[in-house]
Amino acid sequence: MALLKDNAAVTEAAVDALIARFGEPDWLAEERRAALRTYAATPHPTSRDEVWRYTQLERFAIDGLELVDGPRDTSVVDRVSMRILDSDAEAALVIKNGEVVQRAGHVGESGLIFTDLRTAVREHEALVREHLYSVVNATMSKAAALDAALWTNGTFLYVPRDVEVALPLGTFTTADRGGLSAGRTLIIVDVNAKVTFVDEYTSEPIGERLAHHAATEIVLKDGAKLRYVSLQNWSREVVQQNKIRARLARDARLESLTVSLGGDAARAEVEVDLEGPGSESEMLGLYFADEGQHYNQYTLQHHASDHALSDLLFKGALRDASTAVYSGVIVVDPGAQKTDAYQTNRNLLLDDESEAVSIPQLEIKANDVRCSHGSTTGPVPEDQRFYLMSRGLRPEVAEHVLVTGFLHEVMSRVTLPKLAQYVERVVQAKLGVPGVKEKL
Amino acid sequence: MSEHSLEIRDLHARVADGEAILNGVNLVVPRGEVHALMGPNGSGKSTLAKVMAGDPQYEITGGDVLIDGESILALEPDERARAGLYLAFQYPVEVPGVSIANFLRLALNARREEGDEIGVMEFYARLQRAVKALDWDESIIERNLHEGFSGGEKKRSEILQLLVLEPSYAILDETDSGLDVDALKVVAKGVNAARGPEFGALVITHYQRLLNYIVPDKVHVMAAGRIVKEGSKELAMELDTRGYDWVRVEAGLNPVGDDEHAPRVGA
Repeated sequence: MALLKDNAAVTEAAVDALIARFGEPDWLAEERRAALRTYAATPHPTSRDEVWRYTQLERFAIDGLELVDGPRDTSVVDRVSMRILDSDAEAALVIKNGEVVQRAGHVGESGLIFTDLRTAVREHEALVREHLYSVVNATMSKAAALDAALWTNGTFLYVPRDVEVALPLGTFTTADRGGLSAGRTLIIVDVNAKVTFVDEYTSEPIGERLAHHAATEIVLKDGAKLRYVSLQNWSREVVQQNKIRARLARDARLESLTVSLGGDAARAEVEVDLEGPGSESEMLGLYFADEGQHYNQYTLQHHASDHALSDLLFKGALRDASTAVYSGVIVVDPGAQKTDAYQTNRNLLLDDESEAVSIPQLEIKANDVRCSHGSTTGPVPEDQRFYLMSRGLRPEVAEHVLVTGFLHEVMSRVTLPKLAQYVERVVQAKLGVPGVKEKL
Repeated sequence: MSEHSLEIRDLHARVADGEAILNGVNLVVPRGEVHALMGPNGSGKSTLAKVMAGDPQYEITGGDVLIDGESILALEPDERARAGLYLAFQYPVEVPGVSIANFLRLALNARREEGDEIGVMEFYARLQRAVKALDWDESIIERNLHEGFSGGEKKRSEILQLLVLEPSYAILDETDSGLDVDALKVVAKGVNAARGPEFGALVITHYQRLLNYIVPDKVHVMAAGRIVKEGSKELAMELDTRGYDWVRVEAGLNPVGDDEHAPRVGA
């Protein structure tokens, strides 16, 4: 078993350099230093760890990579510009290797704050200080500790009480150089406020390996509503680890969608703490791995309160000796009565060389709950393939129709039309449908 | 044989690595004619249909199938379709997420050269004609392929696709089973709309009642994996009255004495 190794560039001096470069306040400097100590004290994950079983850990190795300290060039490449134009986002932030390189569009709602995290530390210090590390912190995992110590920038979004933001907002995270990098998203939706936010990760081929770490902290106060999308379509040199976690207060509702299409390997941890009665979390996941990609997802539906609902559906297709691992757990605390918790993972194998592992788990400590979990992994149904071909569809077109059909259960619940079209286009391009190429 | 025909020559087939089901089928449907294929349950009718369309779960052990004189057995199912063959399935599958309109556009364009895709107006005109011929509501074409369809709607969809794709030869595999008389009439209306000098069909059915509405030029009777009797449309009436045992006896097979005495339904 390949053991992960330390990275010689991850040092106290590196953290101090970040603090000095960004001119950070003492409380944040101390958080970073503490996170680094936690990082150093935390062992690397091994495949014996339950949450990392079947993961191809060596693909997430970071040793030998230099810390990324900004992009080679601050221009916004066509690929990213086109994505902004063709996204549902009304206002967008472009962050390239940790630097803000573009702010597009504007938001009209009063009191709304949508900026980069470094700026927010300066201009909205009290809000940031109250919430940063309150959902994802260094003690949660080695990768979370690394991110907590070394994040260079990211998104800060605050929606004030009772404000409903009409149009979606988004951040496009991109890169033009390899190395080791870390970014962070902090979203706070105040009482009875409502917003849609898309975190999209994309790049043109970089030519060198990039290991990107991301942490997404979501705080939903009483009655807050958030539609959150995390979509990674990195170029193939990139490996990403992303921990997305949300805390939901009374009657809050989160609709999340996690999409993996790009990169060499990607791990997404999607976790919710249902802390208030009446809170609801819909968790959708979609992935399509080809050409040996490795996707890994871990989910947590933590029912801390009674009368909460979580409904999870992760579906993925695999081809060309690709691999996927889904591991998910529903935890129902004692006293979380009248819980509704559902968890489904389905994998479609398009060839014999691809593999998917699915590990659904339940830990239920209350007695008046409705919970279900299930998983299936299998090849394309031959009767469906035969039916489509009997109408004259060439095998690759028939396969595309079947993959579309398989993913439909998730796609039909995606309420952002342009995003849905983009995902469909990337899937078609991956399938090599004649006449379809992924638009820049 | 005729240059324009669907011809089955001494066809033998079995379930892959399993039991033999077709034991030397001989049958010719000239273009411009509609033939009926009747026979008791388990006689091999549906297997014959699926084997002709190229279902991978069957293995051909002898004989040939020819479209207009060309063997199609070496062709993949999609190539057979593009060669002009159409199978209306007994049990059409559901494919969620793909509308009937999009599916049919893909199927039509598969028959054309790249760059020569069917125009939007032409496509919708064709689709509308077919929908109208089946007394159907136009909204049906935006529904996902068979998702949530009743059995009767699925059968109607098979005929809709036939009308849009305009194959040279169609095999209808028990399209009448499970239909009430009104639905049966609609399906028959669709098939009759397709009839013409450029279209041949083999209508597989267990019962005679469909043939009141789709009048066949010829009737073939299948038993034990081969054709045991041929005749005119009156033969279908006789089978309806007398059952299949007498045909089996005539062919030197044991009578099965089962439920093959068809109930008299229809006009």
